Amino acid sequence: MSHNRNSRRQFLRNLTCLAASGSAAAFIPQLRMMATALAGTSSLAGYKALVCVYLAGGNDAWNMLVPHDGSRYSTYSTSRGGVYNAASNPGGLALANPATGNAQIITDGNDGNGATNQYFLHPSLTNLASIYNQQKLALLVNAGTLVAPINMADYNASAANRPPQLFSHADQENLWHQANTTANSSLGWGGQCADNLLTNGANTQPIGQPNLSLCVSIAGANRFEVGSSVVPYQISSSGLTALKGVCNPTCNMGANNANARDAALNALLADTYANDFAGEYKNVFQRGRDLYGLLNTGLTGTTLTTAFPGTSLGAQLQMVAKMIKLSKARGYASRQIYYVRFGGFDLHSGMFSANGSPNDHAGLLTQVDQALNAFWNCMGPTDVNAQSEVTAFTASEFARTLQSNGAGSDHAWGGVQMAMGGAVHGGKLYSNGLGKISGFPDQAFNDGVMTFSRGQCIPGISVDQYAATLAQWMDVSPGNISTIFPNLGNFGTSNLGFV
Amino acid sequence: MQAFGKVMAVILTATVFAPAAGASVHDHLFANTFDIPADAPTSANDAARFLTQATFGPTQADITHLTAVGYNEWIDEQLGKPATLSEPTVEAVVNARTTGGQTVGQSQRRQRWFWQAAYAPDQLRQRMAWALSQIFVVSDASSAINQDIVPMAAYQDLLARDAFGFYRSLLGDVTYNPTMGRYLNAFRNLKPSSSTSPDENYAREVMQLFSVGLIELNLDHSPMLNGGLPIPTYDQTTITHTAKVFTGFTYSDATTNPVRFYSGGLSFATQYAPMACWGTELVPPLTMSQTQHDVSGDDGTTGTPKTVLGNQKIPSNQTCALDLSDELDIISAHQNVAPFISRQLIQRFVTSNPSPAYIQRVATVFESGTGDLGDVIKAILLDTEARTPPVLNNGDSYGKLREPILRLTAMWRAFNAQAPVADQYGEIKMLGTTNFEGSYGQGPLESPTVFNFYLPDYQQPGTFATNNLYSPELQITNESTTYTTANSYYSFTSNAYLGMPTPPTDRPLIDLSALTVYASNPAALIATINADMLYGSMSSTMQSSLIGMIQFGLNGATPAEKAWSAIYVTLLSPEYTTQR
Repeated sequence: MSHNRNSRRQFLRNLTCLAASGSAAAFIPQLRMMATALAGTSSLAGYKALVCVYLAGGNDAWNMLVPHDGSRYSTYSTSRGGVYNAASNPGGLALANPATGNAQIITDGNDGNGATNQYFLHPSLTNLASIYNQQKLALLVNAGTLVAPINMADYNASAANRPPQLFSHADQENLWHQANTTANSSLGWGGQCADNLLTNGANTQPIGQPNLSLCVSIAGANRFEVGSSVVPYQISSSGLTALKGVCNPTCNMGANNANARDAALNALLADTYANDFAGEYKNVFQRGRDLYGLLNTGLTGTTLTTAFPGTSLGAQLQMVAKMIKLSKARGYASRQIYYVRFGGFDLHSGMFSANGSPNDHAGLLTQVDQALNAFWNCMGPTDVNAQSEVTAFTASEFARTLQSNGAGSDHAWGGVQMAMGGAVHGGKLYSNGLGKISGFPDQAFNDGVMTFSRGQCIPGISVDQYAATLAQWMDVSPGNISTIFPNLGNFGTSNLGFV
Repeated sequence: MQAFGKVMAVILTATVFAPAAGASVHDHLFANTFDIPADAPTSANDAARFLTQATFGPTQADITHLTAVGYNEWIDEQLGKPATLSEPTVEAVVNARTTGGQTVGQSQRRQRWFWQAAYAPDQLRQRMAWALSQIFVVSDASSAINQDIVPMAAYQDLLARDAFGFYRSLLGDVTYNPTMGRYLNAFRNLKPSSSTSPDENYAREVMQLFSVGLIELNLDHSPMLNGGLPIPTYDQTTITHTAKVFTGFTYSDATTNPVRFYSGGLSFATQYAPMACWGTELVPPLTMSQTQHDVSGDDGTTGTPKTVLGNQKIPSNQTCALDLSDELDIISAHQNVAPFISRQLIQRFVTSNPSPAYIQRVATVFESGTGDLGDVIKAILLDTEARTPPVLNNGDSYGKLREPILRLTAMWRAFNAQAPVADQYGEIKMLGTTNFEGSYGQGPLESPTVFNFYLPDYQQPGTFATNNLYSPELQITNESTTYTTANSYYSFTSNAYLGMPTPPTDRPLIDLSALTVYASNPAALIATINADMLYGSMSSTMQSSLIGMIQFGLNGATPAEKAWSAIYVTLLSPEYTTQR
């Protein structure tokens, strides 16, 4: 059955010749699209990729970035029940304030006031502190889901001012993936950006052949990467595996039995099915077969010189790096959007542990630090050489209550996210979305403006603004930004300027 | 703010084949085997189709028996069968392996789970436990419980035992279970102090996932609307108050003299026995400062009742047991429970997109039987929408994607798979080399999060999303898992059959004889596959493809390879993957 694909490919080659020779488009309308669909004709300059690093479960971001000055640190520490100590204060969630000169202390480049511009990053984030200081990592402060800019009075005035189902994992994750709160859509902002980029010629593969989607997920199904026309290609962090008992994709000489099974399977996958479940399963399976054929040889031959940590996130980002390298080498696309996911942040208990654990907050952040650092190095000039072309950013459904429950923290709202890349204007905190709340939040409970009784923060900048800034960097058409982010007009600025 | 008006149930009688059994009593009548019961399946294929929905896969014996006794009697028999248990076997294996210096892990529990799926006589109960485990989720993916091998086996048994009991009993047993407690943090959850508030995890998930969901529902699962908008079932204040109810739990053998809240769990039995709660019932010997349950607003709101679901009040100064009992009564009585749970059970057994009327019929049974889950599963399986699929036309969205684990177990049962003998530690190995959660995207008590392997509202991009239809199992079906699942099936067919040279000893061996007898009659071979795996629903195109494969491509292959090739390609086929 594989000769079918060859003949299709041949057919397209022939069509290309026809197109070059003139008026074939009059006879075959699809040919009009070929000008934008063939290699080298993208209207989008250069190569750019976004990498969404989703921290699942709700990252306790207020321990990722902490005020260093005495006054605000004291408020923080009090709200978190004091510094954790396994023996004397096991319910405390505060980190110790590092001494002057500690490498985790960072300065907010957006704040010239020495009394308020000092913070420290979680002690696990040693590499990311260094990247921040190289001004290649930016911190988005008090970002979260919002319908429009609000303060506490607005929150209390009307339910319509609040995003639906605050504090629920699945719902808030969906809103982060959508970057809008008005409708529970099945579409994500990454996928919709890809729709636009596809229209603008980001796909630089020949049509007719199996095409790699502009969206690639290393972490399974996700709403973020679903567009109207783009669906994510899902690949495992361990790469591709051959399908046993059949041909991958061409059969070895003499492998008659595998050939027979392969032919039968291909016939079943080529059939049409009245039932939608059968039809969708077939589509997925067929796409898997097509893309195995497209990618396997290249991926096997793609090697990286940078070592990645042997963690889940390390393996996922390593696969992203390989795919970026391969995609650039083969010219698959001029724009790509990747999705990786790292769970375990729902630390209602075990946020700290007496003897250290890879699953406590410090352990998780160490894994984030090491994996992102490896990815940053891998994108460096001696390996993939795409640092300025690739922007990685974090997302997480919510931050957590400042107040302790005795062993950890509970679901809250606004938090801190990171954006990293050569194009990022780093070394700065971005907390001003020209809304009703800005700056690093007051961490006292019930401050009347932004915090609730357990230290849940009303966000100052919206997911819409965060995402739209990244979308604009990707060169999504300006006219489409307001379509993809329908609530963006509610906010004071559509670009936070961090990239 | 709470909408209490209950939508009057439309009385529907004609759509169910028989009235549901009386509440909680599943006595069955003696069936005269010489009579053909009025509700007997009309064909072996109909029987196989029913058993595909109701069991881990049809066997010839079950088809024969179902045909003899009819649907009602078959279900009643199943409702009456005692639960096949995991815990005793898993504990014995764990102990034997530990004594023998062997490592132990969750695979000990999983080996037993797959054995039960394949061979337990209480098939409907085990299927129900499997469905319930996807609602009342605990998972060994959590570091909080992944060392709790034996207690997790006991949790599986809890679900099997309670599978046909009252919903309220199940909810109570789940809430008091220490594995659930440790998974969702009700275990050793502390009453409020000056600097801490209780953990909100269980308070939130027990309502969001185990009972009522996020928005007020009508009996047919449609959202109630207020000014065109859904009505939230609870808000953050409800959560904060409810969290106080779930405080003070610890192991039942934690000592009160001396006072050690953090002690206990010294044996397997106390690691899965219902948790004890340290409330006022333990005074004396405990002082108020030694109790760990929030009694009267210990955060300074002394004497304040707890305002929980539906703005109902739980009085202060109650015992812990009374607080819990009130809370679970309030949750169980909420009008959402019947449609919320019924719809998800229908999705697990019959179809991803049940009609509102189907949900309402089942939810009505749920309510009239006070949450009798035996009645509920009977209503689900006997409903006309389950028994009579619509005529297959283009755009058909009836049925569901078969779960990848159920595709495997149905194949085992169709071909009479023989389990290996128990090893020296008493363990029967079933898993082969497959890592189910990794390869299939699902495994028993292995969900990545409390949100299960897939969401009930997942919409696959494309046809499903466009038509606002749901397709939960497609959430774990992607370009990668179709391959890894297929490769696992390959290891359970090509390398796992009776009579093969040097067969593996870590997985069941299927019996190919029903197929090899037709090695030179491809049409008969494929007809057998069609009856045994697809309850006779295989399209003529698929039959032609498979017959062609046997007749021509595999002309020179051994009879065994012809047989397992037919099974393997069928396992991968879109038609087998769909349950209609």
